[in-house]
Amino acid sequence: MACALDGRLTRRLAGGKLAGVRFGAGSKREARRLDQRGLAWGGVGVAIVLAITFFGSDGLLWFDAALIGYLFGTMFMVFGVVYRYAVWVQRPPTAMLNRRGWDSFRQRKAHNLAALPSLVVSQLLVQSFIRRRSRARWLAHQLVFWGCILAALVTFPLTLGLLHFESVGQQADRYQVFVSRIGAVTFDSGSVLGWLTYHVLDVAAILVLAGVFIFLQRRLRDPGALAVERSGDFLALAGLFAVSVTGLFLTVSSHWLGGRFYAALNTLHALTVILGLMYIPFGKLFHIFQRPANLGVAYYKRANAQGPAAPCRRCGIPFASAQQVADVQAILPQLGFDYSDAVGGSHQSTCPGCRRAQVALAQSARVGGFG
Amino acid sequence: MSDAGRFGIDEQPVFVIDQSRCIGCEACVQACMECGTHRGRSLIHLDRIDRAASPQTAPMVCMHCENPTCAQVCPADAIKQTEGGIVQSSLKPRCIGCSNCVLACPFGVPKYMAEIDQMMKCDMCVDRTSEGLKPMCASVCPSEALWFGTIEQFRSRRRGALVRDFLFGRQVVRTKVYTVVDDPTAGPVDVLGVVNTSWIDDPFALEGFL
Repeated sequence: MACALDGRLTRRLAGGKLAGVRFGAGSKREARRLDQRGLAWGGVGVAIVLAITFFGSDGLLWFDAALIGYLFGTMFMVFGVVYRYAVWVQRPPTAMLNRRGWDSFRQRKAHNLAALPSLVVSQLLVQSFIRRRSRARWLAHQLVFWGCILAALVTFPLTLGLLHFESVGQQADRYQVFVSRIGAVTFDSGSVLGWLTYHVLDVAAILVLAGVFIFLQRRLRDPGALAVERSGDFLALAGLFAVSVTGLFLTVSSHWLGGRFYAALNTLHALTVILGLMYIPFGKLFHIFQRPANLGVAYYKRANAQGPAAPCRRCGIPFASAQQVADVQAILPQLGFDYSDAVGGSHQSTCPGCRRAQVALAQSARVGGFG
Repeated sequence: MSDAGRFGIDEQPVFVIDQSRCIGCEACVQACMECGTHRGRSLIHLDRIDRAASPQTAPMVCMHCENPTCAQVCPADAIKQTEGGIVQSSLKPRCIGCSNCVLACPFGVPKYMAEIDQMMKCDMCVDRTSEGLKPMCASVCPSEALWFGTIEQFRSRRRGALVRDFLFGRQVVRTKVYTVVDDPTAGPVDVLGVVNTSWIDDPFALEGFL
């Protein structure tokens, strides 16, 4: 609390005149204007969703009107995610990384293409970097991740009318899955496949809930995690919990309560899902769409490792890739920083260790030296 | 400050770093590992300034810039600043491990942890300071090179004046963390203005006279 008060006080004292507060004031002004490119791409995203729905559902023949609320939620989510992504990739550092990632990929296209599957598996699917941070967090994330993937693979095609079921001939207990007009798997309603088909969303909900409880256990008990808690951390968990629990309520109602309260529970579930979809572009869950940038970073790093290294201008020891040092120096003026010195060099050409030494020497010089 | 060692809600303690006082005991390095937000990892830097010329060491914590360069150059928007001005470690879900922040920070603070593919840095022990406790390093530093207290306490107990503006070439950086100077009217601490020459290069301090 004391620090929060101090922060507010220092900002007031700064009076908005120093470079240090330019960031806040500028971003508020810019926030009032909507980004035209983002709006356009968001519109394209929504148009694609509507086109997939229309053509995929055979001219809306197989579109389930009861799911219209989910479709609106999906459209809002797609617009928001595409808009935010379009704005995000325009930021100077993101634009630079985006460009360099693709450049690096194209440099050795065949080699990089061959490396792509293992990168996708390790970085995006198995998420081994989380396991090295904490096994419990990795387990929780994997449970939530695969639960959500499973649910998304079922619900989005159902909502867009891409997936429907038809009974086979006159057999009331035999069904066939249709993907748009194409007939796929046939199953007996009483078979294991049938049970799984009916209950796949229950399985997904249980996976998500298990992950949410592990996350919550850590967040509520670890003082360090509590201290750096952001409201969005709990909101994302609360959203996943609400969607999963209300979804399971529907199964409870139909199996054990003879369908009582089903209509009300169905409305409640739809509300939580639609609100959850609308939250995705704004909150923590947007990292789902940011994270694949990690693949670009991997290619960028590999290309840089084969290129020349930048020597520190103070100690002469190479400290980083010359390409990345040059890229960072190119970004800084675009962000309003000027770290150039009197002879035209950049402070960022000095290695981090020498930067720290320079700060210590400059400070000690102002108090008559060390000791 | 109460007997329990906590600052009250009306007190506004500040972090002060005075590298010239460092005695190189490494207590801060050990204490940093005990911080609740990054247990087991020491994020403070303790460097030898010029190993060939002097045994002098200097600590460096995150200075928590008001307009953090690290956060601005982050392509994933993973570095956030709290309402109180503390620049946090990168957000785990967002950090894509590019190291832009490591290369851009004028103070040379962020650490890229390759094994977990994430940048981590000092967050002024936010688990402790948010409850009015001293950060781990400041609570153990015997020479008060790392110090945490109110400005009134500083004035009553220590000599020198507090400043928090640093000049790197043409860029002025204002920080949440203060440092100590003899004469505050001399302006920001000019980091690149000090020429680091070894006494071996100029044993009789003749440079400037000849």
